[in-house]
Amino acid sequence: MNASKKSGRGSQRLWRGLTTVTASVLALALCAQPLVSANRTDLDKFLGTQSSKIVTDDSDSQDLFAYKSDYTSTTELLDAIEDLGERMSEEGTVLLKNNGALPLSAGEKGKVSLLGFSSYYPLMGGIMGSSLTPNQGTDADTVDLVQALTARGFTLNPDLQPLYQSLESTFATEVQTWAGSVTYNTLTAPSVGGVFSSKEPSQSALTGADANWKNGLSDYNVMIVTIARAASENATYLPGEAGVDPSQNLNQADPLGLSDDERDLIQAAVEAKGADGKVIVLLNSASALEVQEIQDNDGVDAILQAGLPGGYGFYGVADILSGDANPSGHLSDTYAADISASPAAQNFGNFEWTNPDPTTTTNSAIVQAEGIYMGYKYYETRYADVVLGQGNAGAWDYDSEVTYPFGYGLSYTTFEQTLDSLKVDLGEKTVTAEVTVKNTGDVAGKDAIQLYVSLPYITGGLEKAAVQLLDYAKTDELAPGESKSYTLTADMQNMTSWDSEADNAAGTKGCFVLDAGDYLFTVGDDAHDAVNNVLAAQGASVGGDSANVKTWTLNSRDGDTFARTKNGTAVENQLADMDVNYWLPGTATYLSRSDWQGTWPKTYSGLTATAEMLDILDNDIYVISPDNGDPASVTFGAQNGLTLADLKGVTDLDDPRWSQLMDQITLEECMIRTGFGGTSTKAIPSIMSPEAIQNDGPNGIYSYPLGQYANTDASTGDPCAVEADDPNLTYKFGTMAAAPVVGQTFNKDLAREFGEVCGNYSLWANLTIYWGCGTNLHRIPYNARNHDYYSEDPVLTAGQGNEFVQAGLKYGCLIAPKHLAFNDTEINRSGVATFMTEQQARENELRGTQAIVENGALALMTAYNRVGVTQDNAHTGLIMNILHGEWGFKGLISEDFIQDANYTALKEAVMNGVTMSCNTGENTAAAVAEKYGYWTVDAVSKDAQLMAALKQAMTWQNYALANSNALDGLSSSSRLVSVRTWYDNLVTGLQIGFGVLTVACAAMYVMSAKKKD
Amino acid sequence: MKKSVGFFMTILSAAAAAVGAAAYFMNCRTNYFINLGIDPVVMGCAVCAIVLQAAYIIVTQKGNQLWTDILAVLPPVLLIVATITLAGSRISGIASIMTFENNAQNMADLTSAIVGIAACLIATIVGIAASFFDTVKE
Repeated sequence: MNASKKSGRGSQRLWRGLTTVTASVLALALCAQPLVSANRTDLDKFLGTQSSKIVTDDSDSQDLFAYKSDYTSTTELLDAIEDLGERMSEEGTVLLKNNGALPLSAGEKGKVSLLGFSSYYPLMGGIMGSSLTPNQGTDADTVDLVQALTARGFTLNPDLQPLYQSLESTFATEVQTWAGSVTYNTLTAPSVGGVFSSKEPSQSALTGADANWKNGLSDYNVMIVTIARAASENATYLPGEAGVDPSQNLNQADPLGLSDDERDLIQAAVEAKGADGKVIVLLNSASALEVQEIQDNDGVDAILQAGLPGGYGFYGVADILSGDANPSGHLSDTYAADISASPAAQNFGNFEWTNPDPTTTTNSAIVQAEGIYMGYKYYETRYADVVLGQGNAGAWDYDSEVTYPFGYGLSYTTFEQTLDSLKVDLGEKTVTAEVTVKNTGDVAGKDAIQLYVSLPYITGGLEKAAVQLLDYAKTDELAPGESKSYTLTADMQNMTSWDSEADNAAGTKGCFVLDAGDYLFTVGDDAHDAVNNVLAAQGASVGGDSANVKTWTLNSRDGDTFARTKNGTAVENQLADMDVNYWLPGTATYLSRSDWQGTWPKTYSGLTATAEMLDILDNDIYVISPDNGDPASVTFGAQNGLTLADLKGVTDLDDPRWSQLMDQITLEECMIRTGFGGTSTKAIPSIMSPEAIQNDGPNGIYSYPLGQYANTDASTGDPCAVEADDPNLTYKFGTMAAAPVVGQTFNKDLAREFGEVCGNYSLWANLTIYWGCGTNLHRIPYNARNHDYYSEDPVLTAGQGNEFVQAGLKYGCLIAPKHLAFNDTEINRSGVATFMTEQQARENELRGTQAIVENGALALMTAYNRVGVTQDNAHTGLIMNILHGEWGFKGLISEDFIQDANYTALKEAVMNGVTMSCNTGENTAAAVAEKYGYWTVDAVSKDAQLMAALKQAMTWQNYALANSNALDGLSSSSRLVSVRTWYDNLVTGLQIGFGVLTVACAAMYVMSAKKKD
Repeated sequence: MKKSVGFFMTILSAAAAAVGAAAYFMNCRTNYFINLGIDPVVMGCAVCAIVLQAAYIIVTQKGNQLWTDILAVLPPVLLIVATITLAGSRISGIASIMTFENNAQNMADLTSAIVGIAACLIATIVGIAASFFDTVKE
């Protein structure tokens, strides 16, 4: 081959190669277009761009902002958050033990040794969910324990921090991801299927790092030893030794109990403190821990339960240590000596079906055979029956079972509470208690008033707890010797029992009832104190105070007063199919106080789903059909000239303008918006409904920085407009204490204040929807996600949650309870079939949400799990009949983050009034039909029932938005304008540019080929 | 004729594409992704690319023709389409597994998706590079 031919071929290869390059990039750009469209919302959130905006031309735009902030700047806002965070921990930290060591003197503040690596790497939030968002350079920078103590004037042993820092690699946890590993220097919670590994450095490791590390302890002999357990979404502890890393051999009987390395550390502190030193154990955990041995250790002077205190809570802890604040927190959970011995623990784990099916997410089942006896309702009831010698309670020793009861908490002072009077008003359905609280000590402080009721129990009748919390309140700060009376008005709904066999107003079965008999009301320092009062009133010699018990007698069973809910709906059995015996008769025995030992829960594993169950488990329940009514009866696409802004603040859904407005919406819009909910509501052009951004929590509105959606255009008249150079725009509000600390305050005012700062933040950050109110109960401490929920008790949960949600609404912030319902394990949380009795469901878990909804919550998140064998969103009894029907919920409902279109059960969810899924996609009917094969305009447009449900869902969603700050700044004339983002321009540019280049390169290739020839 | 570097690179690209297709097929059988099914665009493009690359190698053993060069251009284009389509179908799953659903089983399920995407991308890049070279030395 001659040189010219060689050169020609070389040129040909070059142009062929370049044609390939340009054609490939062109193909990439063309393929990217639908991807960009499908993921536009999340791209915008990630990149901080906007693909659309609403333009309002009104001249008097000031009036368009209905909700007002309490603050005039972001500085004031952040100051309020910081201040609240500190006070939340002052009142939410629980003093569990104190032999007089606390508070520390001024001198003792100057000689503190912080021990345990979690003192330097504390857990301030969850690993996932309620995670701390550290902030620096803002007006409310977050602080850890060392920073908080230092700021409060403590002097710390200078040798120890470098010691622990030098050992960092020994307690770091590598979490593997496909993209590499993420290193946590704090403890982490075991992933699902994993086990807990103790990370506390051993004594030999400490000595190996610094042989003289103990030398300074004699000078700094106020020892604070931090014992931590992490919390996390999508993580779990497992009961007993099965939950502990078997390779460690650290004599650890339970992941929530101590390891030898932790014991040794505490003991080292005890031995080093000397005659005038002190040992204080700081518990840094959202889950109740097994701490009996610390309580029993005479060398340990004090125990503080700080929970996960957020970014400012350690200021509060420091103030308690120094005595600047007097502790008034009380436990929101029972601290059992052996958690694995609880009835709930017998059925906590991964119990796979024998016939699982991944195509339908049919994975496991959990039978909650403990019945209503969860948390203190078990411990205190069994104790009562031991005392009373009934119910085959056996040789069961309360003191060996419980370290600290529910509601327990010490103070630096003492209080005396007297139940002065009690009035039951069946007409008003209230119990009014007058309680006098006297500070009998010599330090000012607050106390928690806990009002309990003991329902009449008849052996073999309805299950009843020996005591249950009926209401609570926090006192003001009472000076030494000061006495003050408080009035608590409790909702009697919270003392009803669900009887699945009772006749009801609907003419069927199932009703809330009050049994005939004596109702004993009492106040107690904790649940155990309360049950002792009740037992004393019943004649038992248990040291209780019978004088603090008031009795109300009901002569005959009342099945009428609570036969209808607050909105007049007749109640009836809705969850019969949650009982595994409904499907598999005779399978489960639920725990009964009529025979504690005989009904003790077995472990229900290896269940086999029958064909009937599999028919529900396939998530395909509703049949789209042209036989479901007359399609012409449902109007879409009308031209009525309304916009959502015309109904701003209209709370009456019977206002005819609502139906006129919703007649304007198109079927396609309804189908796309319900099918592709994603992480915001998205704009609906036909009714001018704006996009409303969703945010996770519950420890603050933390999904986006304050500035990402903040309004920087003051000309709009927005009183919360910010300057573009505001230093607080980078602030992320994942800084509040985790929910159990809020529960431990027993202070509704603080919960309300939290809702208020969230509401204010929502206005400044333009973030309307907040999944911030965790109302699942702490069924058991092993659920590593307990940090997102308040308590094991539903009344405490609903009490705190209600104040929180209501306060947010004042500012147009939609704070949503989550997750309705029974999302009490992270093991197979998508798919797990949850079985329990309806009494258990209604008196425990559902009671924790009911009052919040009945008082007007406008947003709510459903759960991943199944209710019985039915996917949560598809369960008509729970979602449509209880939530919407009995409780009267009208608002926005999102499913949890389900990314499987099959498991989403969209058509069933819509039929139940769920307004949005979490799947995302392009804003077209074709895209949504591709995701859900049955969700085609052709099919749905023939089903009048489904179309009506779609309109109903969209009506409820937009009703919520119309009564939120999402409509701030909008008027009737507002219009949606599309905006081309830089990435749109990039994709288009690539398409054009590489299209031209491809043609050019191909042409050059042809020319070079001809030249060669 | 002696084999040129283009020959080996084309083989390598086809092998990577085969790995990608196999990994994708396996991924479609995992518990997490089973409901998404097999996307004909992904599998079709990958298989076509492999077939075209095989054809290209065979027909060019007797020398390059003008029309055979299109066989060098098309496979990378098809492979980039497969890569982007596959990645697009897995984006939300990846995001979910890396956040809300991060556990050992889901991570294992995710691995084949990542392998599939990576293999297709490698096949594309190698295929593009191969198009600058002939398969045989003239």
